[in-house]
Amino acid sequence: MKAVGARLPRYDGIAHVTGRSTFVDDVRIPGTLWAKALRSPVHHADITRLDTSRAETMSGVHAVVTWQDVPLLMYGHLSALGIPEDEPLLAKDDVRYKGQPIAVVAAQDEETALAAVGAIEVEYAEKPALFDVRLAADPDAPIVHQWGNWYTHFEAEMDHRQIRKGDIDWAFDNADVIVQGVYRPAAIEHCPVETQVCQVVPEADGRLTIYTCTQALYFSMGVVAAHLQVPLNKLKLVGGTVGGGFGGKVDTASETMTALLAMKAGRPVKWRWTREEELLCSSTRAPWHMELADAVTNDGWILGRKMLTLHDSGAYARFSPYGVTKHSFHHTGAYTIPNLHFDGYVVFTNRVPTTAMRGFGVTSISFAVETHMSRVADVLAMDPLEIRLKNANRIGDTSPNGVVYTDPSTVPTIQAIAEATGHELSADYRTMTRDPRGGEWLPEHLVAQVGNPEEGH
Amino acid sequence: MKLTVNGIEQEIESAPLTSLLDVLREELGITSPKAGCEQGGCGTCTVLVDGEPRRSCLVPAAAVDGHEIVTVEGLGTPDHLAPVQQAFVHHYGMQCGFCTPGFLLAAHAYIEGGGTDDPKAISHALAGHFCRCTGYVKIVNAVAAAARGDGFDLTTTVGTPTTTFATGGVE
Repeated sequence: MKAVGARLPRYDGIAHVTGRSTFVDDVRIPGTLWAKALRSPVHHADITRLDTSRAETMSGVHAVVTWQDVPLLMYGHLSALGIPEDEPLLAKDDVRYKGQPIAVVAAQDEETALAAVGAIEVEYAEKPALFDVRLAADPDAPIVHQWGNWYTHFEAEMDHRQIRKGDIDWAFDNADVIVQGVYRPAAIEHCPVETQVCQVVPEADGRLTIYTCTQALYFSMGVVAAHLQVPLNKLKLVGGTVGGGFGGKVDTASETMTALLAMKAGRPVKWRWTREEELLCSSTRAPWHMELADAVTNDGWILGRKMLTLHDSGAYARFSPYGVTKHSFHHTGAYTIPNLHFDGYVVFTNRVPTTAMRGFGVTSISFAVETHMSRVADVLAMDPLEIRLKNANRIGDTSPNGVVYTDPSTVPTIQAIAEATGHELSADYRTMTRDPRGGEWLPEHLVAQVGNPEEGH
Repeated sequence: MKLTVNGIEQEIESAPLTSLLDVLREELGITSPKAGCEQGGCGTCTVLVDGEPRRSCLVPAAAVDGHEIVTVEGLGTPDHLAPVQQAFVHHYGMQCGFCTPGFLLAAHAYIEGGGTDDPKAISHALAGHFCRCTGYVKIVNAVAAAARGDGFDLTTTVGTPTTTFATGGVE
């Protein structure tokens, strides 16, 4: 562990400060064509007509690609985890979010590509659109997805992620106070300073060289190979220099379409999204709707928690079922609550599909849990740090999904916060440790949940 | 049109209204100025025009005909880094590196203009440059160190482990 705590020079530091780091947009390939996309101008509509013939015959236009050119149109981002596909690479019968790609063109320069996009004829029959995750779950909401308005393919074909632990009825029957709250963090755009950018070179031997800003090179390679229906050895992906991603560059948003254009044109193609495309059409962190009810005693023990989560997946599933699964495991935060009743839904709306962003699924619940802990402290007129210490995870406690904590850091972290901010803790809490529970810190209701830290996970 | 770029005089063939950013990147192959927003909003295309930081995406080539342009390629080479380049490496004033060229040139101009290590003045000089990775603190520290004239040794590991871990979980 020589590196931990030491100051190591950045391996890419000198290259970054001398302008020698080669980002995708910096790769120079003679004869490269420009790509542009026709994107849906409406939030939800059936496509009633799509005619690219005028664009295809324009001077300087080398390729126009629509859904008909994609060997495998539908491919699930997480098919490896058994999550079925629901999203076409290019829109076919309908569009479900503003900015959804319908066609892409490759032309000799940016201006010609834009003109070709403008020459594509398309007609829409608009349908009602949903933008609020809570309203999308209403029984009379218009249906916006082929599976209904929420994801129905968790294990055993369950339509939500569910956790049941302990005896929730006992907790609510024995509570002195029920503390409720609703928490709704909004969508956040990753906004990397480098927009989505990709260059694809069709090589003489039939392979494709793909310069990509992806955060997940091998994952993106699999996604491209699946859509193109080619073996992996036909693809050479060059990545590693990402101009900011934060989770927003795991969706393989540009590589496959650029590859299809390069194959059809027989020329290198570059697709660099504008800032406007990045802000309006790229995936975001999800908006969430979280309802919590805690069964609490007057002296600050949280006996049980009921929780409903509605995760806004946007128009398609992408990674959201995985995000909600992580979310469910963390729905007690850094605290131990023995009796739980959690239901989490992946809800579809007509927003851009949502995706990973720094702590996928967990930042939302951390926001809700920490705000709620302070609300509980307020209701009980208790110290907000002491109520956190009282319920803090200790060695031997178990998580919502039954993992035994062997190295929980809640107690020392909160004590350090108290010290750093000059927050006076009473003696009991100043001297508390994270060691396994005993004495006053092991009330009757926490006995059954304790596991054996020697056995770990 | 003629431009002097990093000390070398260049004959320019691009159309007069081509952005300076495109002239540098597409005609001259100088790729450190980046196309972050192409609307003057993010700062990563910044170059020095006669020593002053300018957003090259908003400057038509004709407007700088005959002028002197500096990009980070002209600030220093890996063997001979300018003080502000050394400071960014030493103080970790970057992560992904995409916004770094713009920050470096704005910081260089600030220091050349007599700027001090006052964090408020540095923040003012760097206003309009967006970094999504660092949170800016390390960038401001780097500029302050360069403004003070701190010396840097970039060749070896710097310092020894000093962090203590509250949980004792790391050994």
